[in-house]
Amino acid sequence: MTQQQEKLSAFMDGEAEDDKIIDAIKHDAELQAKWQRYHVIRGTMRKEASVAPEMDITANIAAALADEPAIVAPKESRWRSIPIIGNVVPFATQSGQFAVAASVALAVILGVQHLNQPAPSEPFMTAPTAGPQGGLAPVSLEQTRTLPRNDMNEVLEKKRKINALIADHEQQIKLKQVQAEEEEKASDDTNRP
Amino acid sequence: MRCNPFVLLITGALSIFTPLCVHAQSSDSSLPTSLESNSQAKNATEREAKTDTVKQTEPAVERETNALQTPVQWLQRLQSLISSANYQLSFVQTTVGKETVPYLWRHGVLDDGTEVEQLNLQNGPGRELIRVDGIVSVFEPDTQPYSIRSRFINGPIPNILLHNPQKLLESYEFVLVGRARVAGRSAQQIRIVSRDNTRFGYQLWLDEESGMLLKLNMLDLQGALLEQIQISAFSVMASPSPYFARINPSSLPEPIMMASSQSRAHGWEVNYLPVGMKEVKRDTRRLALTGQVVEYKMYSDGLVDVSVYVQPIEDALGGDIALRNEVSTFLTLKAGKAQVTVLGEIPLQTAKAIATSISAVNNSND
Repeated sequence: MTQQQEKLSAFMDGEAEDDKIIDAIKHDAELQAKWQRYHVIRGTMRKEASVAPEMDITANIAAALADEPAIVAPKESRWRSIPIIGNVVPFATQSGQFAVAASVALAVILGVQHLNQPAPSEPFMTAPTAGPQGGLAPVSLEQTRTLPRNDMNEVLEKKRKINALIADHEQQIKLKQVQAEEEEKASDDTNRP
Repeated sequence: MRCNPFVLLITGALSIFTPLCVHAQSSDSSLPTSLESNSQAKNATEREAKTDTVKQTEPAVERETNALQTPVQWLQRLQSLISSANYQLSFVQTTVGKETVPYLWRHGVLDDGTEVEQLNLQNGPGRELIRVDGIVSVFEPDTQPYSIRSRFINGPIPNILLHNPQKLLESYEFVLVGRARVAGRSAQQIRIVSRDNTRFGYQLWLDEESGMLLKLNMLDLQGALLEQIQISAFSVMASPSPYFARINPSSLPEPIMMASSQSRAHGWEVNYLPVGMKEVKRDTRRLALTGQVVEYKMYSDGLVDVSVYVQPIEDALGGDIALRNEVSTFLTLKAGKAQVTVLGEIPLQTAKAIATSISAVNNSND
């Protein structure tokens, strides 16, 4: 079992030595569930999660596909033309409708990865053989990239607020002169008679 | 078996980042508000007291142009000259970190006794202010001409120094320093120092012969120059400048009415003020640029005006900042649920003393 887990992990990283694992996943419901969970976890760790961990959409998609297989089942060539997803294509082409459905769910997750990260090469850290390779690095990189932009907005907002106060102060001084004038005139009028 | 140790690890990592996003929003709804109703009555008595002191000092002034002994006499001579003579002045205003700004200033009294005055900004698109008795018309680029009711043109030279120097005696001490040469003429130098040393100081030079203002310096507490007004040419004439004959008073814009703002309840008071400074205004309104609601009080000793703003902390700056804007100090401090901002031509120490003296008042019993 642990050996299969290892192989599954390797397959996810595109390092599978043979195609046996694919058959194993196809026939083992537990491995399929693991396959799906691993992808959700990987997506979350890279801050790319588009699917909630408990939301298993593959079954729904499989059911939906069972009703209209002719429309959704893609041609091989079309899948191959899309990078990254090309890796999954054997999985889709060799198997029946359920496998196609599962690969659609994968396409959703991998597709997001593809958008954010051109080179998803970090190994998943379940396998003890893989060793530590700084799997969280992209997260921190993303942080340093977005923080300065937030700061800039904050600085601009602060400047705007400071300027609003200074402008108001100057306006009040102008107005005060006039009001003091009117008050003085009023008090002069009351003093005179 | 769904609760995977990795998911736990991930939520732990996420919770490290979430405080960054959340802490900016604190929870508060509005400022405490309540009214101090007796402050208006207090102000009125203070005003009476002030007019009394002015009356007492007035008889001391006589027309002894040749032997002026006190700085106040010198300033009163300037005051009478400013309001009754026909004159024309060219002067420049220099402020730290800014370009020098030249002005032309004319004043005259017409045959029918009408007082006319003109102040013109000489560089760039300009700015022209024309006063005919109690109405000042303002002509500025990019703005419709408008008029306001005022007996003074609000120019770079503080009006109170020119028109009401006695009013400054409560807050400032006038010292006759000695003779000097300014703008090619012999002049008397006078120092103006705040009595409690909490405000910027001034030095002015008056022409010995005519009494006209020749130079005015504004200095910080260390004696460094902040702003300078230097007269470059002046002439006192027998008749008003021909310029004023060209003004057609009926073509000037109608004076706009100033809506006196309703003073709403404030839940705070300033407990420290420099000697002679008094509240001249309070209201609650929106800032023109950002639309933020502020509670506002203005304090003045006649020469400098200090604005105090109190805002709910969530739409304020959310930090302590001190800035120097030209010669004005900008200080903002967090005070519990409120943000206090003090703005004015005062040293930073004084601004801080005012800002930290603010306390909440609760007079809901009246």
